[in-house]
Amino acid sequence: MNRLWKYSLLAAFFLMLLLGRSEKVHSQNVDYKAYTLFLYNFMKYVEWPTTEGDFIIGVVGESPIKKELQELGKTKKAKGRKIVVINITNPTDALLCSMVYIPSSKSSELKALKEKLQGKSVLVVAEREGLAKKGAAISFVIDDDDALKFDINKSVLDAHSLKIAGTLIKLGFLVG
Amino acid sequence: MKRLLPLLLLFFLFEKDAFQQTTPAVKDTFDFYEMSLEQLLQMKAHGVPSELEELINSLILAASKRPLTARESPGIVTLITDEEIRNSGARDLIDVLRLVPGIDFGVDVEGVVGIGTRGLWAHEGKILLLIDGQEMNEPLFGINNFGNHFPVDQIKKIEVVRGPGSAIYGGFAEYGVINIITKSATDLPGVSLSGTAGQMRTSMGRRNFNLSAGKQSKDFQFTLGAFLGQGTRSDQDYTDIYGNSYNMAGNSNLDPLHLNTAIAYKGFSARWIMDYYETTVRDGYDIIKSEPYPINYTSHFTELKYSGQIGKKKKLTITPKLNMKSQTPWETIWDLDTVAEDYSKSVQRYTANISASYNLTRKINFIAGAEVYQDKAQDNSNDSSFFSNGEKEVKYFNQAYFIQALAKTRFVNFIAGARMDIHNVYGHAFVPRVGLTKKIKKTHFKILYSNSFRAPTIENINLSTEISPELTQVFEVEAGYQITRKSLLTANFFDIITKDPIIYFFDDSLQTDNYYNYGGAGSRGLEVEYRMRDKWGYLIFNYSNYSVAGKEKSLDYEVPDNPSMLLAFPTHKANFNLNIKAGKYLSISPTLSYIGERYGYTGIDSTGTSVIEKFPSLLLANIFVNVSGFAKGLTVGIGCYDILDSKYKFIQPYNGYHAPLPGPSREFLFKITYEVKNEKTKKP
Repeated sequence: MNRLWKYSLLAAFFLMLLLGRSEKVHSQNVDYKAYTLFLYNFMKYVEWPTTEGDFIIGVVGESPIKKELQELGKTKKAKGRKIVVINITNPTDALLCSMVYIPSSKSSELKALKEKLQGKSVLVVAEREGLAKKGAAISFVIDDDDALKFDINKSVLDAHSLKIAGTLIKLGFLVG
Repeated sequence: MKRLLPLLLLFFLFEKDAFQQTTPAVKDTFDFYEMSLEQLLQMKAHGVPSELEELINSLILAASKRPLTARESPGIVTLITDEEIRNSGARDLIDVLRLVPGIDFGVDVEGVVGIGTRGLWAHEGKILLLIDGQEMNEPLFGINNFGNHFPVDQIKKIEVVRGPGSAIYGGFAEYGVINIITKSATDLPGVSLSGTAGQMRTSMGRRNFNLSAGKQSKDFQFTLGAFLGQGTRSDQDYTDIYGNSYNMAGNSNLDPLHLNTAIAYKGFSARWIMDYYETTVRDGYDIIKSEPYPINYTSHFTELKYSGQIGKKKKLTITPKLNMKSQTPWETIWDLDTVAEDYSKSVQRYTANISASYNLTRKINFIAGAEVYQDKAQDNSNDSSFFSNGEKEVKYFNQAYFIQALAKTRFVNFIAGARMDIHNVYGHAFVPRVGLTKKIKKTHFKILYSNSFRAPTIENINLSTEISPELTQVFEVEAGYQITRKSLLTANFFDIITKDPIIYFFDDSLQTDNYYNYGGAGSRGLEVEYRMRDKWGYLIFNYSNYSVAGKEKSLDYEVPDNPSMLLAFPTHKANFNLNIKAGKYLSISPTLSYIGERYGYTGIDSTGTSVIEKFPSLLLANIFVNVSGFAKGLTVGIGCYDILDSKYKFIQPYNGYHAPLPGPSREFLFKITYEVKNEKTKKP
């Protein structure tokens, strides 16, 4: 392959990389707005024994979803209750919450939260797939085509005195 | 330059901007959070995909029989869409597949153009060509003849597995699989008619007509595709190795007729394909003939299939199917024996296949199945030729068992599978494979090891005393990086080792054709591809390279004094495929193929020794423009293939005394498509 062709091809290749980089948005990131939408629907279609006071959502550790939930709280309410978002730094904080969200990076915290929240009416939602089988009430699932779905563990919901509407059960996958 | 290269690459990949996240477009919060539950099911975990992400996240079946995205599929896969085919104005599968890394074409004998991959001649039963699941390779020699043959307008997508596929598909998928899926009723607007006219420098290039129609009504679907054409391989002069010439216009006709019809009702489907390919040739095997003669390829395919999910949780899917194909390839019935020998053999293959797919969990899947087929071949000629059993008819029987396990974990997807074929003459072939794949955020990787085989065909068995399958081991590694949401860079390395390849030789003393297993073959190389897709169009650039240095080679395939390459196929090849949408109704698509130096035998010297010639590198430049919107349902395309009139020739990839066969000269194209939309068949 003569040099002129080699260098022409290399130049064309790098020119294309330059053109490709004119787009600043990086490769597909998790759309936490979509996850927040699901959490909002969980608030709508799950019944808690108590309907008084603020609806406190605890996010374990740091996660971009916290910002999305705060945005949600500015305009929406959970069945008339004001949505408040707090950080959970230790399992005791979770006792204040109506819903606890465990980001993927904090999945190892599930066990401690389970023990702390035994018998409490707190909906534990995990970002990582499979955690509904390990004690979370709901965990998210990403399908092959990137569709966002969720697993439901009804036994866990029952143990926490939470009732889930049939319409929501139909959308998810029952794993317990 | 060499030192600068890695630095430049690092700069583009890791510069700060590449990591900058932007705030997603602000949505109307009120409307967004009041979505219905049905709309909730449409949400994607990673937001609205870009056009590129939609493509690279689309599900591929060919490499695993289980839908996986292209980046996680256990094969080095190229996906070609109908949009790319339509925009490029591709005339036939040669134009489409030439843009795939590593794929190239060469001439066999009697005007037949076959396919090669990664430097290796894959014409005889080494690349499986499927159209809607039907194996197009004829069972006598395992070949497919390319050139104005198959209807590109009917294609919805092509999954090209650029690596072994025998663990799933058996003995014709040693080096690759080309899985063509045509448009079904859900893809078709109602009725689509198209006509293509091509004019080469001095003669008609092609006149093709295609009709596609589809109707969907609740659970019932009907699809019809009809393609009729007349074409010319070339209007250039062909000169045989002895210096005799003729002009190919009028002596290299390629006239196809292809019908494809299917019905589907719930889990049941039936398909029938008829393919008539009438060719006229004059090149023969070595010396040209005094006049042209016809060689026809006739095929009929019938399939009945049912796919049913069993159990409350529908974890188990059983798919039984019956296939019958009848093919009469290479049919030469000519009155004048001085022109060509009569050849007419037919084969019927009856296949029963059952497979079961079981989802143990959402992440673990098993597939197992069995297949039996019988080949029945008849010698239809009136002369004294017969099969090796001394009869005018011969039967062969093959049984196969296959299994595959797929496990998707957080860290890696693991796939393992194997297939065992047991033939009543050539014995057995066992081919396992294993692969690891994973997409993690911006990057993906694949590590694949596969065994594959090429099954001896009916004529291989007939023309040998003892023959075995040729066995191949392939190691492939792929890495990919999504540079931005609209661009993706992938690179893969491959290493192929073939043992006991089935080789043809002509016994001068006995004047007989023969096949036997001898020696070895293989290649290794690198393939790189860059894809960018945006609202303005798309850009695809790929480069492929192979080397046979250090590999076993057959004398008939090697280039003397050049240990790193083989006959006919360039060690360097690059493609550039661009589409620009200039407004709502106009698109412009230039394509370029850089084909590096090649070698081929072009003549014989005074001692009767073949003379080899170096073919310099060349550029095939094409352009096609589509215009729509000026009349309802109407699209007009005009373009030119081989603008530079490069005088491309198909070279014979072995020393078989056939001179290089000229391809089409510069060809101007005109295409008109008219679509009548059926409101009921619109996509929801």
